[in-house]
Amino acid sequence: MYDIAIIGKGPAGISAAITAHARNKKVIVFGGDSKKLLLSPSIPNYPGLMEIKGTEFVKRLNEHLASTDAVLSKKMVTAVYSMGGYFAIQAQNDMIEAKSVIIATGVDFKKSIENEDTFLGMGVSYCATCDAPLYRGKTVAVVGYNKESIEEANFLSEVCSKVYFISMTREPYNFNENVEVIKDIPVKFEGHMHAQKLILKNTEVVADGFFVIKDSYPLTSLVPGLDVDGPHVVVNRAMETNMKGVFAAGDVTGRPYQNAKAVGEGQVAALSAVDFLNGRDK
Amino acid sequence: MVSHVTDSTFNSEVLNSDKPVLVDFFATWCGPCKMLAPVIEEVAQKMEGEVKVVKLDVDENPQTSRMYGIMSVPTMVLFKDGKPVGKLVGFNPAERIESALRGALGI
Repeated sequence: MYDIAIIGKGPAGISAAITAHARNKKVIVFGGDSKKLLLSPSIPNYPGLMEIKGTEFVKRLNEHLASTDAVLSKKMVTAVYSMGGYFAIQAQNDMIEAKSVIIATGVDFKKSIENEDTFLGMGVSYCATCDAPLYRGKTVAVVGYNKESIEEANFLSEVCSKVYFISMTREPYNFNENVEVIKDIPVKFEGHMHAQKLILKNTEVVADGFFVIKDSYPLTSLVPGLDVDGPHVVVNRAMETNMKGVFAAGDVTGRPYQNAKAVGEGQVAALSAVDFLNGRDK
Repeated sequence: MVSHVTDSTFNSEVLNSDKPVLVDFFATWCGPCKMLAPVIEEVAQKMEGEVKVVKLDVDENPQTSRMYGIMSVPTMVLFKDGKPVGKLVGFNPAERIESALRGALGI
């Protein structure tokens, strides 16, 4: 069991890992390099590193992280379950346990499809593995944004009679016969009580169930029970969330979306997690 | 131990119960359902005397699952006087389930 699981390997997550390591805590960090940083041609305002390139900053952050003994995992975290006393972190097929969690996932600017949240659990699902058997022999639609969505669509096609795949990815696919690919942009879900059709820009798809498979999910499905405000986690000055043992840092807590603010918050979150762990073990 | 109900016992165990009943609609193959199992046990213990907590396997009992429009597992439905009065979809921590139950029942 890890002391602290850090979800996200941007400046906030790495800063949290460095501080947690200094406090002798057993740490695991999930995620890949910050895409936003890698795409920054130059960072004008990070104190002491004037006009550093994003790629160079990422390199230095990673070197610093490598000097700690934090365990790194590239696996995508799909859910953090509060088990009462500890947390179970689902990272693809692994289940990892930790005593505390720091959310440093960054903020997702991608908009959901209209009514996606309204119909979640009522005809809209984020988990094909979970809900596929409920649609045995029925027609489903997959809105696929990544490579996994192609695998999930094929998996669904083995259980369902018909699968529509709305392709939002450039990944190559090789589908079973009962998968029909639609190249169009999803606009909104419609239905009474539950989602019955997906309106696209040029057409519409009627199905019994809809699966949205993408790289990042709303915070409330990542960490069930978490208090959020739009795309942000609600925190206090100690970076504590409404859930005991869960902290957040960086862009995910709100503006300004700046590196200096992220690393500061990462440090505070780690120190708060250390306090929480020390109090708990007494 | 949280007991299981089925299509055939749903009337007597849930709809005709004199106490409110929380039904955890689950499936054996669903990861979040497995994670919810110990949490549901904890809620059942905490709320003992106030709310009865039972589980229903959606694969074995398609009739009840269909009747209450279960489209995702786990789904928890609270029944009072034979009627569904509240629904929680997906995994939830014990505190949240408990506060949702207290809110829905005014206790």
